[in-house]
Amino acid sequence: MRRVAGIFILIFTAGLVWVLDNPLAKLPSLGAKIDPSGKIPAIGKLLDPVNGCWANAEPVNKDFNEQLILPTLKSSATLSFDDRLIPHIHAGNDHDVYFLEGYVHAYFRLWQMDMESRAAGGRVSEVIGAKGLDFDRRQRRKGMVYAAENSLKAMEADPRTKLMMDAYTEGVNAYIAKLKYADLPLEYKLMGFAPEPWTNIKSALMLKYMADDLTGHTDDIALTYLKEALSPDQFRMLYPATISGSMPVIPEGTLFDSASLKRPAAPLDTISAKLLTNKDFTESRPDGKGSNNWAVSGRKTMSGAAILCNDPHLGLNLPSLWYELQLQSPGMNTYGVSLPGAPGIIIGFTDSVSWGVTNNYRDVKDFYLLKRVEGTTDKYWLDGQPTAFTKREERIHVKGQPDFVDVVSYSIQGPVMYDESYPAPGGLKKPLAMCWMAHRSTNELLAIYLMNRAKDYPSFVDGILNFQCPAQNMVYADRAGNIAIWGQGQFVNKWKDQGRYIMDGATKATMWGDLIPMRENPHVFNPAQGYVTSANQCVTDSTYPYWYNGDFVELRAWRLNDMLSNMNKATVQDMFALQNDTYSLLASNVLPYMLKHLPATLDEREQKYAAKLKKWNYQLSATSASASVFQLWWFFLYNDIWSGLNKVPERLFPLPERTMQLVQTTDSELAVVPQLKNFDYLAKRSFRQAMDSMATAEKNGGADWYKVKNTSITHLTKIPAFSYDKLKIGGWGNTVNAAKGDHGPSWRMVVQMGKEIEAYGVYPGGQSGNPGSKYYADFIPSWASGKYYKLLFLPNETSTRNSDIKYTWTAHQ
Amino acid sequence: MRFFVTIIIIAVLSAIAEYFLPWWTIAIVACGVSMFMRMKGWASFLAGFLAIGFFWFGAVLFRDIPNNHILSQRMALVFGINDYGVLLSVVSFLGALIGGLSAWAGALLMNSRAVKVITKKGAIKS
Repeated sequence: MRRVAGIFILIFTAGLVWVLDNPLAKLPSLGAKIDPSGKIPAIGKLLDPVNGCWANAEPVNKDFNEQLILPTLKSSATLSFDDRLIPHIHAGNDHDVYFLEGYVHAYFRLWQMDMESRAAGGRVSEVIGAKGLDFDRRQRRKGMVYAAENSLKAMEADPRTKLMMDAYTEGVNAYIAKLKYADLPLEYKLMGFAPEPWTNIKSALMLKYMADDLTGHTDDIALTYLKEALSPDQFRMLYPATISGSMPVIPEGTLFDSASLKRPAAPLDTISAKLLTNKDFTESRPDGKGSNNWAVSGRKTMSGAAILCNDPHLGLNLPSLWYELQLQSPGMNTYGVSLPGAPGIIIGFTDSVSWGVTNNYRDVKDFYLLKRVEGTTDKYWLDGQPTAFTKREERIHVKGQPDFVDVVSYSIQGPVMYDESYPAPGGLKKPLAMCWMAHRSTNELLAIYLMNRAKDYPSFVDGILNFQCPAQNMVYADRAGNIAIWGQGQFVNKWKDQGRYIMDGATKATMWGDLIPMRENPHVFNPAQGYVTSANQCVTDSTYPYWYNGDFVELRAWRLNDMLSNMNKATVQDMFALQNDTYSLLASNVLPYMLKHLPATLDEREQKYAAKLKKWNYQLSATSASASVFQLWWFFLYNDIWSGLNKVPERLFPLPERTMQLVQTTDSELAVVPQLKNFDYLAKRSFRQAMDSMATAEKNGGADWYKVKNTSITHLTKIPAFSYDKLKIGGWGNTVNAAKGDHGPSWRMVVQMGKEIEAYGVYPGGQSGNPGSKYYADFIPSWASGKYYKLLFLPNETSTRNSDIKYTWTAHQ
Repeated sequence: MRFFVTIIIIAVLSAIAEYFLPWWTIAIVACGVSMFMRMKGWASFLAGFLAIGFFWFGAVLFRDIPNNHILSQRMALVFGINDYGVLLSVVSFLGALIGGLSAWAGALLMNSRAVKVITKKGAIKS
């Protein structure tokens, strides 16, 4: 009897252990909260006090001092951490400095690097299962791996960037090799996988991930549809190539050198057939623009030194996209933010120059409609000749399922991203090939390498001219007092409207032609106005000799130009204030018109809000209720206006700034946009809609603007317990401090380039990627409230006797 | 006395085992020690339960207290629990339960053989 009981209990216990040692598939409601794959991880393994998640509970007073033995180092090196855990790497040679950057990235951010490079290359399904398949397929069809392979060839062909990548990869792998299960980042334990060795292609993929984030979106397909759906007058009015009054990146009136290339003549064939009949546009227009940068010459500053500022806006996630550090080797002393997964510093300063970037939205991605040879799948017509596609097999491993194999055809233009099996947004089930600058064999890492060593303007320019894709507005300031800005990227000499719409892919005549020589990219050095600024706006006025189009926005640029042109004796504090500026130029321009059209009778509550709005200062500050009322009212009004134009799908509404301009002319010439004749009706209706939403907001925790808009920083797994929401921060996309729902200033930097470099910065995250570390999100409160940290910029020497240094890693061979 | 010694042996051996081996070796240790120590009935269960319970609770506190509960609070929320103390208790209980059951199973299996031998001789009636 006892034996039976004993065996029974033994089996029961073994069963219990088995259950706790394996992921559970059947509890999706809880599972989704824990792991993106929807499974509950192996609970026993996860909660094991010795090796499970508890091993990631980093003591708050952890002593980070370490002696590292790293046999492949060329000489000894040190990493000095300050009290914010920013490493200052001092190495005797380039190999060691990049090796240690890789090592320290992996030490603090391994899971993030791993996950992001998987995402870039369409390998998410390997770890989260079939849920990731659509995403992976899309990445592969876009040619992400193809692009990274092409760039890797260029990066490995240059000895400088080859050294950089090889050393970085070695460093990451030196760290991975030391890991036991207990040491793995928490997310690996939750998701049930383990790191694999790092490779150079992963770094290349990380850089392409940025290129895709910044140049991946294009309106070509949407504009093709709209051009056909709207009358030519309406189309021109609603979607102008350049918004009137644009204050371009390169100040108006700047003299451009004459073009060395002649603008090509447009071929006759356009695509006239009605391509898109379906207005079911599912691809959202990414609402992700918000980056600003500017440099103010010493003439306009209190100290007499130039000041450079940058706040690139990107998706807000944890672990943060950026990792802050200083790199020192012979000939290089640079500080700034790096991209975990890639060597070098992307935004920052050296001991001589500083630089910052905003995205340059010139269109570098075009689509071609192909004509397949009837009855075949592997040939298309090109200038009357049947031409074979090149095929690329994309094998996607799916956790718990057989591999998914997608064979992607490549035409002479590029990968056939969309076809019958993978329809384009708008429902176009025809083969569309994509031609994208990011597919080319470009070496942005060389630009990083040279910028990180720049001594002066010429050496800086020599560096950035290697930066091809994603194109960036690169702002510059140096200790000699110079300022400059470049609309830098690799562009094609296009005829007017080339690539603005889907092009005919059956002829070579529509293909991209000559590349514009880099030195002819728009730029300005020490302009008379005493400052330069960019905020994703149009790059030049119409005198620039080459034709381009792009997805530009103007509101922030207007505000910045307004502020900077009136600024004298500027201090770093003025710059902090400007980066955190929440003045809405949109509101100041449209609200007076909207207030003229309030409903005739208002109840007490409506009167209260209307009275407040009339006195409002147009600041979208965090605790303002008027900001909430305006934003909601505008939101409904904007949507009501454009949804009335029923041929335009929601995702393709004209820009807010264009809408603003049209609203301002409601009384005059608006025959082409009939909805605006109903402006009075729409304004009244949308006011009531806004009041309803305000009532809901008041019931659900408050009408303060920050609560209504809910700026959140979400962990990459979307686990709420590792994320932050309802951050107390003002602003929106129409203000300089463009803190939106899940998108905002990813790194705010202010550098005064005086005799001593005085630099400040903050980013929404923390140096550690470990949710169990006190360094995981410790910068968020400062970031939200607009505070800055003074950056510790150490001289390039070995001494680590500095009272600001808290911990030291000494690395020996 | 033997009861307390058993607790200590299980706790120490499972701590050593878990450091090098998968977490579920605590079950093997508890079972084996219970057999070896000829534990009986509920006492065996209690010994295994307390040994692993104390070990796990102690080990979790050892990580959690210096961490100011940063991780435990987050992990509690991951499991939909608002109080990290509940999570620590659940974790310790899970370990304790496995320890108790394994020790009990060990005791029953060991005793069943012993009992058989003795009853053959007819000396002791179980």
